[in-house]
Amino acid sequence: MATVTAPSGGAPGQPGGPGEAGGTGDTETSRRPRRTGGLREGRAAWVLALPFCVLFLFFTAWPVVQSLFMSFTDTRSRDLRTPFDVNVIGLDNYAKALSDPVFRKAALNTAYFVLIGMPLTLVVALAAAIALDKGITRFRSVFRLGFYMPVITSIVAVAVVWRFLLQDEFGLINTVLGWVGIDGPNWLGDPDWSMPGLILMAAWRNFGTAMIIFLAGLQGVPAQLHEAAAIDGAGAWQRFRHVTLPLLRPTLLFVSVTTAIGYLQFFEEPFVMTSGGPLNSTISLSMYTYKQFGFGNYGLASSMSYLIFVVIAIVTAIQFRLLRERS
Amino acid sequence: MTVATLTATALTLTACGRGGDAESASGGQTGAAVSSGKATGTITVWAMGAEGEKLPTLAKEFESANPGVKVKVTAIPWDAAHNKFTAAIAANKTPDVAMVGSTWMGEFAGLDALDPTPPAIDRSAFFEGAQKTTEVNGTSYGIPWYVETRVLFYRSDLAKKAGFDSAPTDQAGLKEMAKAMQTKAGAKWGIGLQAGGTGSWQTLMPFAWSDGADLTKDDGKAYNFDSPQIVDAAKYYQSFFTDGISDKAAPATPTTEPDFASGKVPMFISGPWMMSAVEKVGGAGFKDKYNVAPIPAGSAGSSSFVGGSNLAVFKNTQNRDASWKFVQWLADPDVQATWYGLSTDLPSVKSAWDAPDLKGDEKLAVFGKQLETAKAPPSFPTWEQVVTSFDTELEKVTKQGADPSTSMATVQQNAESIGTGQ
Repeated sequence: MATVTAPSGGAPGQPGGPGEAGGTGDTETSRRPRRTGGLREGRAAWVLALPFCVLFLFFTAWPVVQSLFMSFTDTRSRDLRTPFDVNVIGLDNYAKALSDPVFRKAALNTAYFVLIGMPLTLVVALAAAIALDKGITRFRSVFRLGFYMPVITSIVAVAVVWRFLLQDEFGLINTVLGWVGIDGPNWLGDPDWSMPGLILMAAWRNFGTAMIIFLAGLQGVPAQLHEAAAIDGAGAWQRFRHVTLPLLRPTLLFVSVTTAIGYLQFFEEPFVMTSGGPLNSTISLSMYTYKQFGFGNYGLASSMSYLIFVVIAIVTAIQFRLLRERS
Repeated sequence: MTVATLTATALTLTACGRGGDAESASGGQTGAAVSSGKATGTITVWAMGAEGEKLPTLAKEFESANPGVKVKVTAIPWDAAHNKFTAAIAANKTPDVAMVGSTWMGEFAGLDALDPTPPAIDRSAFFEGAQKTTEVNGTSYGIPWYVETRVLFYRSDLAKKAGFDSAPTDQAGLKEMAKAMQTKAGAKWGIGLQAGGTGSWQTLMPFAWSDGADLTKDDGKAYNFDSPQIVDAAKYYQSFFTDGISDKAAPATPTTEPDFASGKVPMFISGPWMMSAVEKVGGAGFKDKYNVAPIPAGSAGSSSFVGGSNLAVFKNTQNRDASWKFVQWLADPDVQATWYGLSTDLPSVKSAWDAPDLKGDEKLAVFGKQLETAKAPPSFPTWEQVVTSFDTELEKVTKQGADPSTSMATVQQNAESIGTGQ
């Protein structure tokens, strides 16, 4: 195994190692002579970036600040015409959101979705990527297209089809389960099965994105490492475990972070498939927040958005801690 | 909140008190009079869904009857409508005339965006329940444009098999017939009642209203969900599920039409659009295999839910006279009958039901009769929010066997903490 762990530590053959080591010295020396022209270049850069900066300030930064302020006020839709007439109520909205049983239920549902849905999506994506990378070489592009197709299909179209697939009596999934003697559940009508139903659909729809990135990562794994490991007597699983997986770590971090962020904002699936039901079993944090905006409770909804933001920040931080490349 | 209401009222009075009309008994007000003569100038109209697509045809007729007027209709998708309206109100960029969902009236009037209805429009011409949806705090803002109500659909051929020659007339009779449909006519479920979820209150409330329920109390100033009539209706509703007459695990995709056509679920409660839907699925001759009947009566007679859309004029219109003239024209009985022909939207004006198209149809007449007693929910700005907890609690009642009185108390508690928003 020693042959394998060494490269990531910075073996002489790796371009990353020496490049990085000399990096700081390089830039220091090369920057100095350029400094006279730097001012003009800097100004040009600012002029070019100005339109974006202005747009960013007005349409991104300002609304973010405004909604943060709003989350501490009792703004309702009727206050839209008199925006300076709202009351600052401190953390009341946050307290109200956290004590709302439906919000709590939404948080549990979202956690359920991320904890089951994300690993499922990643495992399926990785399996598909490995199959495409190694096994199925002949029709690779056909399969790649096929696996990626759900990602680019409209969620509404997908929802219509999946509602039929998950239908309890004549749906294809329960029909197939019936062939092997399993009496399929009433997927979207039963509060215990509605989340698994949505997770199945979400995994099917989303694994393509992760798969494409995994595929790129896999193709970056040098073949000679596998050969070397094979010569040392490593089997397929050992090579995967000790060669592929460590080299895939940055890819895995990227994919799991983006997937987790996407899944924490779980919205479209329940919105088009179940509208949160039955018995609030599929209502998600984003969807409940959206509903509060719809009811005109802008202050409360803003505080919910910020709660989601905090959760996403925490989850992302945890993932970075767990998966960051050890250097 | 009181200060806000008072200020709004004061503003309304200064802006529109020109006519100096007498206020109605409930403290509301009447809009200023509209000039006589032909309409002139340009008016912009927003309308949603199919109405938005078909209204231009009708607007052309108005234009030819009033040379010098131009009606610009903008069709808006339903999904985007509510946001578009609130944004337009906040920015003072509202259209002159708009179709407004009947449950949005309270919210928009609360935002002080709507112009009170002028006296020239005869309020008694409309079905009472529909007219009520235009009234907020006693003031009418706009007119009911078209209406819909819910009645009982049943398979008359299967009813005969089950030993019934006519539709049930009371609540006990409905249950008896639904049961007989299962035991004698081979139906899987006696009646398809919505087991909770969005909009299920619309199926429950007809039973409660038929018993004399009122969704408001304290002179219409507060919500009233835990009244004995509503709790009793919820108990009655629940019994269909506990007795196995209705399916508590209703599928996420409603299959009402095919189930009705196959006889699997030979009864359900729904609106007029279901007639063409079941006839399409049922095929040729299905028309004679089913019938519609009023909601089975309770202690206060037969009542149902009235829905539909209103037409309102926005307060900051630049062409108030032409706007109201257009609205008034759309409430003309003949125009309403023409509109039925174009859109199959049921007329909100009672006398329009004398048109041959409507009068000649026996099934449609049932809807017409039901409309006379049909009721609408209160026009509180927070209604849409409050009703989601009603739907959720009703779901617990049907699916989990929750105690109806506890559930309705929860809804009431929820409603009280949210408030009426007025």
